[in-house]
Amino acid sequence: MSSSSIYSPPGFDFSNQLRNNFMLQKGLPLPKATSTGTTIVGCLFKDGIVLGADTRATEGPIVADKNCEKIHYITESIRCCGAGTAADTEFTTALISSNMEMHALQTGRKPRVVTAMTMLKQMLFRYQGQVGAALVLGGVDATGAHLFTIHPHGSTDKLPYVTMGSGSLAAMAVFESGWKPNMEREDALNLVKLAIAAGIFNDLGSGSNIDACIITANNTEMLRNVEMPNVRVQKERDYKFRRGTTAWKKEDVRKLIVEEQTLLIGGDEMDTS
Amino acid sequence: MDRLKSGEVNLGTSIMAVQFEGGVVIGADSRTTTGSYIANRVTDKLTHVHDRIYCCRSGSAADTQAVADIVHYYLQMFTQTSGAPPSVHTAAALFQKLCYENKDALSAGIIVAGWDKDAGPSVYNIPVGGGMFRQPWAIGGSGSTYVYGYCDATYKEGWGREETVEFVRNTLALAMSRDGSSGGVIRMCVITEDKVERLFVPGDQLPKFWEGREIVGGAVKKLDVDPIPMAVEV
Amino acid sequence: MSIMEYNGGSVVAMVGKDCVAIASDLRLGNQALGISSNFQKIFPITDRIYLGLPGLATDVTTLRERFRFRVNMYTIKEEREIEPETFAHLVSSTLYEHRFGPYFVEPVMAGLSKTPSGGVKPFIAATDLIGCLNFAKDFVVAGTASSKLYGVAEGLWEPDLEAEDLFETISQTLLNAVDRDAYSGWGCIVHVITKDKVVTRTLKGRMD
Repeated sequence: MSSSSIYSPPGFDFSNQLRNNFMLQKGLPLPKATSTGTTIVGCLFKDGIVLGADTRATEGPIVADKNCEKIHYITESIRCCGAGTAADTEFTTALISSNMEMHALQTGRKPRVVTAMTMLKQMLFRYQGQVGAALVLGGVDATGAHLFTIHPHGSTDKLPYVTMGSGSLAAMAVFESGWKPNMEREDALNLVKLAIAAGIFNDLGSGSNIDACIITANNTEMLRNVEMPNVRVQKERDYKFRRGTTAWKKEDVRKLIVEEQTLLIGGDEMDTS
Repeated sequence: MDRLKSGEVNLGTSIMAVQFEGGVVIGADSRTTTGSYIANRVTDKLTHVHDRIYCCRSGSAADTQAVADIVHYYLQMFTQTSGAPPSVHTAAALFQKLCYENKDALSAGIIVAGWDKDAGPSVYNIPVGGGMFRQPWAIGGSGSTYVYGYCDATYKEGWGREETVEFVRNTLALAMSRDGSSGGVIRMCVITEDKVERLFVPGDQLPKFWEGREIVGGAVKKLDVDPIPMAVEV
Repeated sequence: MSIMEYNGGSVVAMVGKDCVAIASDLRLGNQALGISSNFQKIFPITDRIYLGLPGLATDVTTLRERFRFRVNMYTIKEEREIEPETFAHLVSSTLYEHRFGPYFVEPVMAGLSKTPSGGVKPFIAATDLIGCLNFAKDFVVAGTASSKLYGVAEGLWEPDLEAEDLFETISQTLLNAVDRDAYSGWGCIVHVITKDKVVTRTLKGRMD
């Protein structure tokens, strides 16, 4: 610990960079972080927004998490799907969510989707693409339903139906052929499910289950694992080991229950009757 | 476009602005790309920065949006503090300042156009690098290289509104047909003292020009006169 | 070769019935050269939380002290023990603070959290080197043998194992995965955390 203070300043700490760059020069490449290969989508319908996401997180060729959550909370009626570097999507959305709550408290109004969009794009632009978050932001506010995509470098698009992540091409193919203006709630949810399924089955970076979120003017419905098309079948037999299979050399038992004994020293017990 | 950072969203783009008696016409295609993927096929590259001042954006989507947002903010503050709307020159100078001072970090080619009380209609071109040039007409983006000759040959001073709109529409259609990273629809704005009018040309109603003709099996219509043999040096 | 493989080492954690287990190898290497067969990678945080730190040994030592400091500060300020969920977020935030110059470790946590009814709930989690949390319901792995551990654990783990059975499963998972990894091994250590005790056993494993 370089500083004796218990408080550390907010923001990133670059103190390891000198060392890490030295190691990089020595020919030790930086390991890769967990990324969400991902299919994420958003779709406008008659009375709001439907967001959708798959649930696979990858670390190179390995599936790191088979059922992660990619639809992040911003405010009660604004949600955000994240693709790209998993830690970045997690922390940027958490930070903006916190700032939005503060903003709402300060203004005394329900916050708007454009406010979240502007906060996100300005933050991502400041980091010049180094914060690798690709987002689909959707929500309903006083001015109506809004849907945005935000790219890692900080550019934004406003569209009635959007897709992002490695499965975006498969999902966009579904939207381009099936999206209609002023869809009913059920039709929109079905289209989103189809788009995510297209990503799950056709893109290697996406997989497992479908998450969806329906946002309307006075209700937000988070549908965690609405569809589970890839459930593992029950194993026919188990590989339970007989106790004592593993040979061990040393055992140490740390008892967590403190054995207490109350000894009465002199006098009578207190009369509690 | 090697100025773009890897994976960045690109406005491949054909953009244009032309001044005429009483106003300016600005126009743009609607394609946004990431590599070979069209990230947005109905982009609005004609960005409002003040009541009668717009800009056409080309280059990096993130950079041009950030710059336009900053200028938009400054112009609002300017109006509030000075009590009068800014001139197009003021807006263009702001863009130029931002683009020049951050030239190492930005890839933004911007055309600023609009109407003001001092100069009437005016068009300013701010290409990558941060120069600022007032021009009667300006084109920009990757598609513009294909249509410089057409513009030089066609543009005339003293046009009215209709002729200018047609000039912009035709130029953009030609640029979009030749440039792979431009396409989609044509969006145009006519900015005059009284109002800003938006015009829209759908992708299937673009003006058509000669688009080539298939020559079957290499059979070419026989010429009436026999070709004269090339002179051979003895 | 990546920095993550410089010293070698692997950790795995598993959920059982009202218990959790966390296990690691004991090797410290300098690339292919073995240096120590008694290098601690799993550290007790509270009575019921254990933290495994596979990765670059210098960062393992640095972070262990950093977390000890931050957990002590938490305990003093809050006047209570830290819960596993809270600790997981503390680890995650500490690592993300170093987003642009990370520590080369992939922490694995195992612990028991208290339920309102007075019982205990098993908790395991892992993060990548920049602090992306992964709350799994079955098992988490990290380190140079992680790819092998994923495979073996996927086959051997089953739900609701009693503490003694969980010990066998996690031990066999680690032992067999580590035998196919050149940078992990040289002995293993297993901690099984239950409501009333923590059993720590040093395993007999291949020393080559």
